Amino acid sequence: MAAAASPASVALAGTDTTQAALDAYAKDISFVNPVRPAGVVRPKNAEEVQRIVEFANRTRTPLVPVSSGPPHFRGDTVPSVGGATIVDLSGMKRIINVQRANRVAMCEPGVTFGELIAEVTKHGLRLNMPLLPRKTKSVVGSLLGREPVVMPKYQWDISDPLACAGLFFGTGDEFRTGQAAGPGTIEEQWAVGGMQKAPYGPGTPSLHRLIQGAQGTMGIVTWASMRCELRPSLEEPFVLGASQLEPLLELAYWLVRLRMANECFILNSTNLAAIFAQDFPNAYQNLKATLPPWILFYTVAGYEYLPEERVGSQLKDITTITQRLGVEPVRAAGAVSANALLRAVQQPSEEPYWKLRPKGACQDVFYLTMYEKLESQVAAMSDLAEKAGYPAANLGVYIQPVVQATSYHCEFNLFYDPENRQERMRVKEISSLAIGSLMGKGAFFSRPYGETAGAVLNRDAATIAVLKTFKQIFDPNQVMNPGKLCF
Amino acid sequence: MGLEQYKGDMEMCCRCSDCKFVPMQQVGGFQFANVCPSISKYNFHSYSGGGRLNIGADMLKNGMTYTDKLLDIVYNCQMCGACGASCNYAMDMEVNEPISEFRIRCVKDGRTNPALDKTIAGLRQHGSMVPVAGKRGDWAAGLGLKDATREKVDVLYHVGCLTSYDPNLQKLAQATAKILLKAGVNFGIAGDAEVCCGGRAYQMGYQEDFLAQARKNMALVKQAGVKTVVTACADGYQAFKVLYDKFHLKDGLEVLHISEYVARLIHEGKLTLENRIDLSVTYHDPCRLGRLGEPWVHWQGKKVPGDRFVFDPPKTYRRGTYGVYQPPRDVLQSIPGIKLTEMARIKEYAWCCGAGGGVSDSNPEFAQWTAQERIEEAAATGADALVTACPWCERTFEQAIRATGSRLKVYDIVELVEKAIA
Amino acid sequence: MALSKDVYTAFEDVVGPEYICADPVIMPSYHSTEFAAVILPENTAEVQAIVRLCNQYKIVFRPICTGWTGTFAKGTILLDLRRMNRIVEINEKNMYAVVEPYVITAQLQAELMKRGLHLNVKGAGTNCSAMLRGHGHLDQTTSGDDRNHLAIEWVTPTGDIVRSGSLGSADEWFCGDGPGPSLRSILTSAVPPGVTPGVFTKAALKIYHWPGPARFPIQGVSPNYSLSEIPPNFMARYYSFPSVEKMWQAERKIGESEIAFELMGFNVAMVAANITTCNEEEEQMFRQLSQAVQGPGFFVIIAGNSAPDFEYKKRVLQQIVGESEGKSLTQLENPRLEGILLCQCVRISASIRETFRPGGAFKSIPIMGQRDLTIKWAIGAGQAKLPLIEKGLIVDDGGAFFGWGVEQGHVGKTEIFCKFDPQNETAAKAVEQWQKEQGDRAFRERYFASLMGEKNPDISKGMCNYDVWWRKIQEALDPNRVSPEPGALV
Repeated sequence: MAAAASPASVALAGTDTTQAALDAYAKDISFVNPVRPAGVVRPKNAEEVQRIVEFANRTRTPLVPVSSGPPHFRGDTVPSVGGATIVDLSGMKRIINVQRANRVAMCEPGVTFGELIAEVTKHGLRLNMPLLPRKTKSVVGSLLGREPVVMPKYQWDISDPLACAGLFFGTGDEFRTGQAAGPGTIEEQWAVGGMQKAPYGPGTPSLHRLIQGAQGTMGIVTWASMRCELRPSLEEPFVLGASQLEPLLELAYWLVRLRMANECFILNSTNLAAIFAQDFPNAYQNLKATLPPWILFYTVAGYEYLPEERVGSQLKDITTITQRLGVEPVRAAGAVSANALLRAVQQPSEEPYWKLRPKGACQDVFYLTMYEKLESQVAAMSDLAEKAGYPAANLGVYIQPVVQATSYHCEFNLFYDPENRQERMRVKEISSLAIGSLMGKGAFFSRPYGETAGAVLNRDAATIAVLKTFKQIFDPNQVMNPGKLCF
Repeated sequence: MGLEQYKGDMEMCCRCSDCKFVPMQQVGGFQFANVCPSISKYNFHSYSGGGRLNIGADMLKNGMTYTDKLLDIVYNCQMCGACGASCNYAMDMEVNEPISEFRIRCVKDGRTNPALDKTIAGLRQHGSMVPVAGKRGDWAAGLGLKDATREKVDVLYHVGCLTSYDPNLQKLAQATAKILLKAGVNFGIAGDAEVCCGGRAYQMGYQEDFLAQARKNMALVKQAGVKTVVTACADGYQAFKVLYDKFHLKDGLEVLHISEYVARLIHEGKLTLENRIDLSVTYHDPCRLGRLGEPWVHWQGKKVPGDRFVFDPPKTYRRGTYGVYQPPRDVLQSIPGIKLTEMARIKEYAWCCGAGGGVSDSNPEFAQWTAQERIEEAAATGADALVTACPWCERTFEQAIRATGSRLKVYDIVELVEKAIA
Repeated sequence: MALSKDVYTAFEDVVGPEYICADPVIMPSYHSTEFAAVILPENTAEVQAIVRLCNQYKIVFRPICTGWTGTFAKGTILLDLRRMNRIVEINEKNMYAVVEPYVITAQLQAELMKRGLHLNVKGAGTNCSAMLRGHGHLDQTTSGDDRNHLAIEWVTPTGDIVRSGSLGSADEWFCGDGPGPSLRSILTSAVPPGVTPGVFTKAALKIYHWPGPARFPIQGVSPNYSLSEIPPNFMARYYSFPSVEKMWQAERKIGESEIAFELMGFNVAMVAANITTCNEEEEQMFRQLSQAVQGPGFFVIIAGNSAPDFEYKKRVLQQIVGESEGKSLTQLENPRLEGILLCQCVRISASIRETFRPGGAFKSIPIMGQRDLTIKWAIGAGQAKLPLIEKGLIVDDGGAFFGWGVEQGHVGKTEIFCKFDPQNETAAKAVEQWQKEQGDRAFRERYFASLMGEKNPDISKGMCNYDVWWRKIQEALDPNRVSPEPGALV
């Protein structure tokens, strides 16, 4: 059955209105209401994107930008209104530039982590990446989503590792953020050695911060540059298991404060087992049984100069701390070796996506918080899950120090069988109730998605008022992903 | 002369705000970072050293505009020199001198403060900056001290107005005299013939009155034939040592503060501090013994044309470096049982007691506010007592302690030395 | 432009009579502008009330802090934020500190150092507001520009109070971004801003680990401060190199190897300024040091978290410097001078001695961004200074420029300035001309755009019309246009 497309989207050349395409974008794994788009366009370059945005303004067609391939999890790629056109950028797969000297890479939105990692590796670089993104995850999409990254020492600002971006605002105007703004074109900048690395400005505003966290409501990004780090010449990974979070948090705090660890994060046994188990449920349960309840993972690394000496002196300093804490990091947590975990986290997740392996679906509840509030929040979430009939032991937890440990990303992963209505409803209820409960315990949902975003946004009317002012400037015709956030 | 000679200096001010604070590397925390009582109390930038220079530069250019606010700014300043010391860590420019000249200009233009006028009237009539009761030399009754105006002495002990007349502080004059007697110094006093050094009049802006006093004092010195003057008052010390020299009146006279002299006497073996005093103390550097007590530097020259603010011959700036800081500390630390703990703001960046610049007369409330800040700072050291080396400081601190109910005691250094030698 | 009695009374009713003044005599101390009044609020509520009055009466306002520089329109109400000077919180576990505008960096730094922490120090000096947006000597390890702010409490130009990020949602200071897009996209300048409209009344700042002592062991009397000892596991050195390329090579590798606590691309003129106590001494020292260096260079502070860490870092430094044919300035190996410069760079950030003391004024072109790119440009700008030096119009610093790495060299800062006698009109004009020419060249040759000074529509056009967007934002946030640019930088 042909979609009841608006005459306008049918008029846009190349719009896909096939049932399969429309159905594919009508829903995702999250609990947002399914809303079928009117069409799907798949631009190949920036010029096409600009034409799409201009068209949308003329015809008031809602646009929903999508960078990653499926499956989608957050609900931001599902239209909130009817008559929308999906702008699928996943086919824009150019890796535009990688430069070792300035530790920078630039790519289009369709480039995945696997693809970019392979390229930057050739230049002796690596990405500061999120934990095990799915194979189809767009690097640019991750940057725009302000996803937490696994090397907090290298995240100086919450916008890192994003550097600059090229985009079209909702008005259809082209803009480039930061150093990329000018003078001249990108090519002219390259000619003199400019590599679009510095993120701030130009002038007073740093508009890369406006497009991050925006869920495509301000414009469409057609490329992004990002800072890269050097590939170590020597890496020594460690794990530390504990029954309580506190000693792990304390050690993680010092590892980041003293800038001694590259990768540094905490998983509970549920998640670590989910990452490594070969099958479910038996191998998973067996593996999980070998693991301590909480596991801190970190890597000490050396680079070009005297790597062994660097690692050696840092390990000595870490030992001073661990002795004071009365803990002993080791090379394996149960049946999971630190080396294996290191290898795993430097790549995207193997297929199937690790979050889907336990039960086929997963709902994430995540927020930013403070060191001293984590334990009570974890306890609160466990309680809430238990009361709702979801065993706390099955709850995945991922704690990531971010922005050089000025805050912590805390993520609960609720695995469930999508074919089991009861499980599905239970997880939906928990993820909704969790918002209020955790906010009451100091959680800051800085990246609210889906239907629960309203509860978060309503807390801060003053900020919302300013955001709406921005929206009126950058997307006055409200064509960019209407219905998301407060727009 | 006058304000005009400091035009370039005043225009050099770049508004960095260093004048409001102790030198940056000496900032030890949130508290006790301020060094200027005036802006600390009154908050408008105009009250800072830099603010005063900015106003001075503007008024030199556009003419003096006297308003109540201007006079409030001018007279609510202890002329403590802290702004200059902080500024001159980094900058080559005069700060204290133009601020002083601005006040002198106000007085010359008849824009005075009534309370200060009253004080100066007393000076003109009685040769004293404090109300007189009895005779100036009465404090020395029974001590058998030589009269320097009649007998040959090596050292003139200039007592000063406050310890001569204030019954609560005459003990300091008596203690000083006993110390000198104990050390066998051939000294005398001018007794009733002594007159005010004029230092405080200068601070207040009454330059002519200061000069009149200076001439009288130097006439007395010449007549007495002494080569050395010792005083226990920081204002007197600065007057004789620095101001008289500035106006070419000092004529080679050696000027010592009692703390310097005691340190010398101890070193020469003429004084031994034997008696134990078990007391934890902290020491307050009087402004005019410390940063403003450093010797005057005579200089005349011209700016070298060009891009740098340099002079021919090269100009030496007085930055508070050579004030009397160590001798009082050495003296205290040579008293058995004394435990000295320093405050946060000391030496060239010490916080003023509040009494200078005529403020104790023109705005006693501000003087007390300043003193109470210092009492709080002293108490924070945990010491039992605050020791100073100037009767004006001691008087102001005593008043502040009474007002706040602080358990701190205040001593002049001569009181402790007297106890230690008795 | 005088306020009417009624309007003055309205403002006076907010702060009290002793905290407002319209007497013109005070104005020269506030940049010689005919302000309508100077007003000193004590807290956010008073700031809000003042801003609302300004909107009601359509009076322009600007905030000011220590007040170093500024240009203001006549009739502005100046908010002197001196009374807003509290350290609100130091949170060691979450590595942030919250301050009001008039806490100067030195105060916060001293409190942090007692706790084994420190913060970014802006080049304007530790005598300026701690919440200033800026860049300085310690950027290598403490970031810079707008990247050290977390949550901000902001009174908007219309007098609303906005609390960004986690502050608005969770009443905590640890994050300035969200929910959703970040307000830090525009909250990029702290108080004494000339730029973000409205007033920042509090800000959370990132803080960093300090491996040094709770206090530097300073001895001596001003201006002759020195350290009685170099703190354990600290070393400061100056290295010169045979060419800019070699220097850059070493600078880059030091950044990548993450060994430097500070890397400051001083030229010897700046070294000389900082370690001397007067202009004459500086001139002599500059000549002496100029003979001792082989070319451009930088100052490095190595700080180890432990003895092994210190030894490692020193060895790597030696290797890198050796590979780039660097030479240590032996005068600075003298612990007395080493300590002076070490303390100066950490606790003062140099500044005044090197900028204002020599000639009383300077004009500069500072650029934050990609370091190797801006070095390329700066070489030409430095050569363009030589004719001015020859004519005696500017202080002779050999045509030097300086700069440093930021965030272990990921980005950087380059600056070049001319010091001159402000009373010399010819010099002032020549410097202005140099500034314009070099700025134009930077734009023309696609290095960067110098955005200081008067707004230039052509530049904005060549920079994706950023200024058009910014003006739209300003107009939307400030419909009564009571909070305009420009204003004070500090």
